[in-house]
Amino acid sequence: MKLYLDNPQIETDFEAVKASLPGLADLRRQAMARFTQSGIPGPKVEEWKYTNLGFLARENYLPAGKSGRQAEIRQFFDQAHIKDIPGPVVVFINGYFNADLSSLPEEDGVDFSVLSHNPGNFHQSLQASEGSSSLNDLNRALVTDGYRLDIAPDVDVEHAVQIIHIATSGTEMASLRTRGQVKLGRGAKAAIIETFIGAEEARYWFHMISDMVLESGACASFGQFQLQGRNAIHMTELHTEVSDHATFNHVNLQLGAEISRTELINSFTGEYASINLSGAYLGRARQSHDIFTRINHDRPNCKSRQLFRGVLDKGGKSAFQGKVVVARDARKTNADQSDKTLLLDRGAVANAKPELLIYADDVKCSHGATVGEVDPDQLFYLRSRGLDEDAAKGLLVEAFVSEVFDDLENERVAEKFRQYAAGWLRKEGAL
Amino acid sequence: MLKIENLHATVGGKEILKGLNLTINDGEIHAIMGPNGAGKSTLSYVICGREGYEVTAGSVFFNGRDLLDMSPDERAGEGIFLGFQYPVEIPGVSNMNFLRTALNSQRHYRGQNDMTAVDFLKLVRAKAKELDMDPEMLKRPVNVGFSGGEKKRNEMVQMAVLDPCLAVLDETDSGLDIDALKIVAKGINRLRNADKSILMITHYQRLLDYVVPDFVHVLADGKIVKTGDRTLALQLEEKGYAGLDIAGNAA
Ligand SMILES: Nc1ncnc2c1ncn2[C@@H]1O[C@H](COP(=O)(O)OP(=O)(O)OP(=O)(O)O)[C@@H](O)[C@H]1O
Ligand SMILES: [Mg+2]
Repeated sequence: MKLYLDNPQIETDFEAVKASLPGLADLRRQAMARFTQSGIPGPKVEEWKYTNLGFLARENYLPAGKSGRQAEIRQFFDQAHIKDIPGPVVVFINGYFNADLSSLPEEDGVDFSVLSHNPGNFHQSLQASEGSSSLNDLNRALVTDGYRLDIAPDVDVEHAVQIIHIATSGTEMASLRTRGQVKLGRGAKAAIIETFIGAEEARYWFHMISDMVLESGACASFGQFQLQGRNAIHMTELHTEVSDHATFNHVNLQLGAEISRTELINSFTGEYASINLSGAYLGRARQSHDIFTRINHDRPNCKSRQLFRGVLDKGGKSAFQGKVVVARDARKTNADQSDKTLLLDRGAVANAKPELLIYADDVKCSHGATVGEVDPDQLFYLRSRGLDEDAAKGLLVEAFVSEVFDDLENERVAEKFRQYAAGWLRKEGAL
Repeated sequence: MLKIENLHATVGGKEILKGLNLTINDGEIHAIMGPNGAGKSTLSYVICGREGYEVTAGSVFFNGRDLLDMSPDERAGEGIFLGFQYPVEIPGVSNMNFLRTALNSQRHYRGQNDMTAVDFLKLVRAKAKELDMDPEMLKRPVNVGFSGGEKKRNEMVQMAVLDPCLAVLDETDSGLDIDALKIVAKGINRLRNADKSILMITHYQRLLDYVVPDFVHVLADGKIVKTGDRTLALQLEEKGYAGLDIAGNAA
């Protein structure tokens, strides 16, 4: 059996649409050539064993049209925008920057550019994670837009930058492919909140690749909230390099989409740095969330912590694949990984594959992966105090998930996170 | 208030209660004593409707209504409170949030509105103070990291806030130091009035010095085998179950 699956139509279709894409013709052509060589990862590809992409090989998801209904766009914007945070907001609609709803960063030392407005940056961002996978090439061939955020050394960005990606109901069988590139200079500090939201019924394929570089002593907080429509395919890749004494905090929430895939690929490029990844994935019938993390401890004296919590209702599916590699000279590495999934129904499936590869001595590494059900003793205790079954389960599930955002520094972001999670739980049929 | 007749109950396929009869009238305090494994906690769970405790015969009526038809939360709404022998830890849920959700759930059951945040705060602070509980503990997750005695005191704070008609207290006195025992006893006595009743399960007659019961029962091998007044507890203390010809749990 072939490891990768062909899309027979994609090349011809690409020829037809490429003129409408913003620039980068050579790059796109090369990327498409590479993609057609390899194809869509099939079920035998180890990294994709929990998410079957076979159906993607049968259809070509070509770039979506730019516009949508104003009322719909406005509604998604209002839902995703955290109004209590007075900082800049950057909005992409169907994969294209939207100037009307955006208010770009203006602070000194904060250099923001929209990729389609700046071919030089666009070109460079596509080379950042050159050739890492066939889906990466497909993104490169069909990408429509994205952003680049460059924070000058020692700048402490005052307010979190919000980035909102909206998919309208006009995206049926189309793709939205974007890029993000973030760099924090030496000692800089910034927070970014990225929200993905889209039409409830449309079948669209959202795919975003981001690169993040933290220079010496920088500190980044990066939150991602996924609230896509229930028929969406949602994929993000975030590649992060963390230099000495720098800190990367990532928090991730997966609520929507039929199929979600979250790749968090991290490397230490200096000593005494730390990476914290935390996330929650909540799924119900017809939903599948796939979390895929890598932490490459290539340098000594670094610390990484991963904390993921999943909640699955009947028919929900999840996978957590977390790999930590401690290189031979990465002494005094401290790596901790925890993934727990709570099944609200026997008809839910959680997969966990933690991997710890340690080639160094004198390290402290741990991992724990559990799949369990709501504790009957806790449930009875709450019910004996008057909470009905749904309320009691809801409280326990909220508590279970709360670990993920309890130590979020930004209280407004934590609150938004909590609201989203609680909303999911209250949604009809959740419990 | 509570009328239990010929109650038979099984746990994990094993019969634990074997024809138990007990009637508690309004305003009465009953104490149940009995050997380990006799079925005392089982009785408390059956009264409160815990899953896995299957009633195979008999009836339990509460204020004229069939309790066995009700879910645990409905029983709580009707005014039954269980003080757990082993209070459960609930990480991630603060005591405050837990109590407010519980109180408002019961109020909804009774057709009342939510208590306002201000009134609730006042109520909880006052009850915590009466029971000598550090208000800081109210912010902590339910029972997590509490000492054995602190957990029991927390049960009493919950009872005081929820203000039940019938409190079933399973070994609330176990694990308490002497001062704490007095405070808890005061808490129980405060609940006492003409239309409230209390069922205390205990191994020690010491509690009964502070909360004087109207009746003392001995539960052995799934049945009430002896009923008397508080002097029965004194006799038991002196002679033990064997001395009164009551077998330990032969199971
Ligand atoms: N799940 C179960 N399966 C089988 N037997 C059980 C189960 N749970 C409890 N039992 C048994 O039921 C009996 C009664 O237990 P119970 O907890 O009611 O005793 P108790 O009178 O409260 O004892 P103690 O004084 O030690 O608290 C015990 O023999 C116990 O082992
Ligand atoms: Mg007991």
